[in-house]
Amino acid sequence: MDRRYTLLAILVVLLAAGLLIIPNKGEKKEIKPDKLLLAINDQARFLSTDAITERIIGGDPTLQLIDVRPAKQFNTYALPNAVNIPLDSILSPSWTELLHQPGKDKVFYSNGDIESDAAWQVCTRNGIPGVFVMKGGLNHWYNTIIKGAEPSNTASGTDLDLYSFRQSARQYFTGSGDQETAQSGNDASTQKPAKVSVERKPAEKSSGGGC
Amino acid sequence: MVAPLIPMGVIPESWNNVFAVILGFGFGFALESAGFSSSRKIIGTFFGYDFVVLKVFFTAAITAMIGLLYLSYIGWLDFSLLYIHPTFLASAIIGGIVMGIGFSMGGYCPGTSFCGIAIGKIDAMIFMVGMAIGVLIFSEAFPLLEKLYNSGNLGGKLVSDSLGMSKSLFAFLLTVVAVGMFFGATWVEKKVRKVEY
Repeated sequence: MDRRYTLLAILVVLLAAGLLIIPNKGEKKEIKPDKLLLAINDQARFLSTDAITERIIGGDPTLQLIDVRPAKQFNTYALPNAVNIPLDSILSPSWTELLHQPGKDKVFYSNGDIESDAAWQVCTRNGIPGVFVMKGGLNHWYNTIIKGAEPSNTASGTDLDLYSFRQSARQYFTGSGDQETAQSGNDASTQKPAKVSVERKPAEKSSGGGC
Repeated sequence: MVAPLIPMGVIPESWNNVFAVILGFGFGFALESAGFSSSRKIIGTFFGYDFVVLKVFFTAAITAMIGLLYLSYIGWLDFSLLYIHPTFLASAIIGGIVMGIGFSMGGYCPGTSFCGIAIGKIDAMIFMVGMAIGVLIFSEAFPLLEKLYNSGNLGGKLVSDSLGMSKSLFAFLLTVVAVGMFFGATWVEKKVRKVEY
C-alpha cells in the first residue's frame, strides 16, 4: 500500500481522536435565560388585531398565521390561510420546517393570548426567529373587527379612521359592512340596506407648472 | 465573524445561487479528477474491482465532519444554525433502492452523468435521457406517490442524537470505520481480478 495513503489515514484518525479530547461545548439550541427574559419583557412580540387584519386583507406573503387551538376549534372557525398547530404539538418535528421558514412572520393566535404566548415562549426559547403573538387573540379580533363599536361623535380623527378601517375589514370577512347583518347571518328580516357613503375628493388644484 | 455566513447575514441571501454555481464547478471538477466520468468506475464498486467511489465520498464526509466540529469548537461556526435536511425514513429507503438499481444499471449517478456528458461520453448522454424520463414519470405520478413521499418525517435528525452519543464520539467511530473500510476495500481490490479500462 502507498505509504502516503497510510500516513493520511493515520492523520485523519488522530484528528478525529482529538475531537474526543476537546471539551464538549453545550450543544443546546436553547437561548440563554437572560436573553429570554429580555425577549419576554419586550412587548414588540404583540401584534394588534388591526395590524394582522390589514396584512390578511393585503395578502401579505410574509405573514404566516398559526392557530394553536385544538383542531376541533380550528375546524369550526379560523382566520384565512392559518395553519393549525395545537399547542401540545408545537415541538413536533413535522412543524420544524414551517416554523423555521426564513423571511416569514410566524404569528400565533388562540382564543385569548395565553396559549399563543406560551407557544411564543417555547419557540423563542428554542431559538426560532420571527415569532409573534396576536394580542388579545380571536376574542379580541371578533370584538374589534366583527363587533367593533361605533365611536362617539367627539372621537378623534384617528379613532374614526380606525372605525372606518374596521368596517371595511368586517365587509371583507363577513361580506357585509353592517354589524347587525354580520352577526345575524343572512336573516332577511334583520337586513338593512347598507349605507353607501360617498367620499368626495376635493377638486384637484392645477399645479403651477409641470412638464 | 461566525459561520455559516449566509444565515448570519454576513453575506446576503441573494448570493446563494452564485455560490451554488461556484461549488457546482468545484464538485464537477473533483468528480472528473477522481475519474467518475467513467461508468466503469461506479460499477466497479458493485463488482468489487474498484472502490474509489466509496473512498472519495467517505473521505469527503469525514473531512467535512471533522472540520465542522473543530470550527464549531473554536467558535468560528454556530452548529445550531446549520440546515439539517429532514429525514424521511420510508421515502429514503425506497428512493435509495431505486437509485441503487439505477446506479448499478447505468454506471452513473446524476452528478457523474453530467461529468460524462461534459467530456462527450455517449453512455452518459443516454443515462441523462433515462433520468429525464424517470423525472417525468415521477412528476406525473406524484399525486399517487405524495403520501409516501411525505411519510415518516423525523425532522432534522442526527445519527449521534438517535444513538444517544456525543457528536465527537460518533465522528471518531465513523472515522475509524471509514479508514478500516478503506483498507478493507483495497484488500478486496487486490483479491478481485483486475479490470483494465
